[in-house]
Amino acid sequence: MSEIDPAVAIRAKRGEEQAFIEIVEFYYPRCLRFARNMLGSDQDAEEAVQDTFVRVHDSFPRFREDARFDPWLFRILANRCRTSLARSRRHRALIEYGEVPLSAAAPEEGFGADWAEEVRVVLESLPAEQREAFLLRHVEDLSYEDIAAMTGAGLSALRMRVKRACDTLRARLTEVEQHGT
Amino acid sequence: MVRDLQEGDELIERAARALKVLPAADPRATARIVAAGRARRLHAPSHFTLFVEWLREPTLSFASAGFLAAAALVVGFVTRGAMSAIDEPVADLSVAHAAPLAVPVMTASGRNEARAVPVPIVFESSGARRVSVVGDFNNWDASVSPMKRIGTDGPWTATVFAKPGRHAYSFLVDDATLVADPRAPVARDLDYGGATSVLMVVAP
Amino acid sequence: MMTFKSRSLVLLAGALVLSMFAARADAQDVAALTLIRDEATRDIVRSSLDRAHAVGLPIGPLLSKAFEGIAKKASARSIRDAMAGLEKRMRRANDLLAPDPTVDELAAGADALYVGVPDKTLRQMRTMAPRRSIALELGVLTELVARKVPPGRASQMVLELMARGASGAQLTAMSSAVQADVAAGIKPDVALDLRGRGVMSLLPPPPSAAVLQGRPH
Repeated sequence: MSEIDPAVAIRAKRGEEQAFIEIVEFYYPRCLRFARNMLGSDQDAEEAVQDTFVRVHDSFPRFREDARFDPWLFRILANRCRTSLARSRRHRALIEYGEVPLSAAAPEEGFGADWAEEVRVVLESLPAEQREAFLLRHVEDLSYEDIAAMTGAGLSALRMRVKRACDTLRARLTEVEQHGT
Repeated sequence: MVRDLQEGDELIERAARALKVLPAADPRATARIVAAGRARRLHAPSHFTLFVEWLREPTLSFASAGFLAAAALVVGFVTRGAMSAIDEPVADLSVAHAAPLAVPVMTASGRNEARAVPVPIVFESSGARRVSVVGDFNNWDASVSPMKRIGTDGPWTATVFAKPGRHAYSFLVDDATLVADPRAPVARDLDYGGATSVLMVVAP
Repeated sequence: MMTFKSRSLVLLAGALVLSMFAARADAQDVAALTLIRDEATRDIVRSSLDRAHAVGLPIGPLLSKAFEGIAKKASARSIRDAMAGLEKRMRRANDLLAPDPTVDELAAGADALYVGVPDKTLRQMRTMAPRRSIALELGVLTELVARKVPPGRASQMVLELMARGASGAQLTAMSSAVQADVAAGIKPDVALDLRGRGVMSLLPPPPSAAVLQGRPH
């Protein structure tokens, strides 16, 4: 996955607005992708991403010029997504039994449904920590070392989370494929 | 070492590919974020507030965050006394133009900084293509308070956020000319010459 | 990610760094300096801000003054002089409005001094309102003097109205009315007398002599 030229991050840290605009334009689609995959809601994802960039803007004075920008940005984004999840967990507790969740139909109803949507449904069923680890590793292509630095989890714990996420995805998506054939 | 890829990972790779599809760029979202950044720059959160937000990051346990916050308060008061500087008020985490600034800051003597209040501004100009309000409440930055035209030849309007008190402002027309407000009192600019308009703002 | 222990160490180190931070202007405002394209102007502004910050003055009003000059296409020299003048007035206002004036009060006090409001008026206003911001009252006073009401007369009226408990809205309305009267050709001090007495008629009875002189009561 490509990273922005480090010189742009340094210019943005020093207060150059054009550099900050370049950063937003470069990373917005990736951040939105991660947030949508984590949160399962376009609205929550957009809010989390906007929140992230505002925090990036505020925190730039603390950004070390010799550090890589990607892990720093995704750390902030992952934190915003966790906050959003915690908030929506309280909200979902109020959803009545039988109400359709924000994402698409349950796997049992996935017969013939779009593959990407199936993947998202299974993804959303994963515990948040596993989902986050899987997305950062296999979708955002960050190294385990970067993810460890961002999340504070140890390398073994991270690998275990990714493995468990893969196991669940594999099992559920195999079922989906079998139903579909 | 735990391997994260096992047999049958063709399925995982397909799943990851489906999740890797990038959404389209959204220029409006970019513009909103940049505008929020500008508003933050004008009314920056105090270092103390940023510090408290750092403490609140989810990676800290509640108990340890509480301890650090208490320690931070002690340090904050000690260094505040040493510096004898006064923090600027904290900005709201909202897009520019959307809401007044939040959270009055208490000084050591117990006096509050006032909150900025929204003030509608109107300007008549048939020939202008672009107008902004510039003044001491937005650091004379034309990008903070661009005006919108009502209809195709109606008046230009904007809402600025200014604290109670006396303010100087002008209209920047077509990015080139500063024009005083014909509806407002004029004050002679003792520093740079010319005239600016006066805005008196009262707390609601 | 930093452990709890690491963050504690950073906290203590940060306290030491903060105490040395007084010599450098606020990072956020300094970042705004990069918006100034002309290098000479930027250097002048940066030096002015550093100087002000070193003596404990807030730099927001000074930065605003610099940006005003840039918006008005003033020369670097004019901007330097304007900032130096404002810094001097803010220092005076800082003493007169002690203890611990807010940023808004400092800026408003500096403006009042610029148009000729006497030092003792600022002291008296502070004594009269030690626990709330008087930025609005200072603004009204500045506006009256800008309309050519003699500074002594304007000071006396505003002090009296403050002592009688006039609200910000009443003071501002009075100042607007005076401005309209002056524009219509009425002499400024006459307009002030008329409009000031109008506000007073709505207020509780006059205070003691001690209050009028701005002495604690």
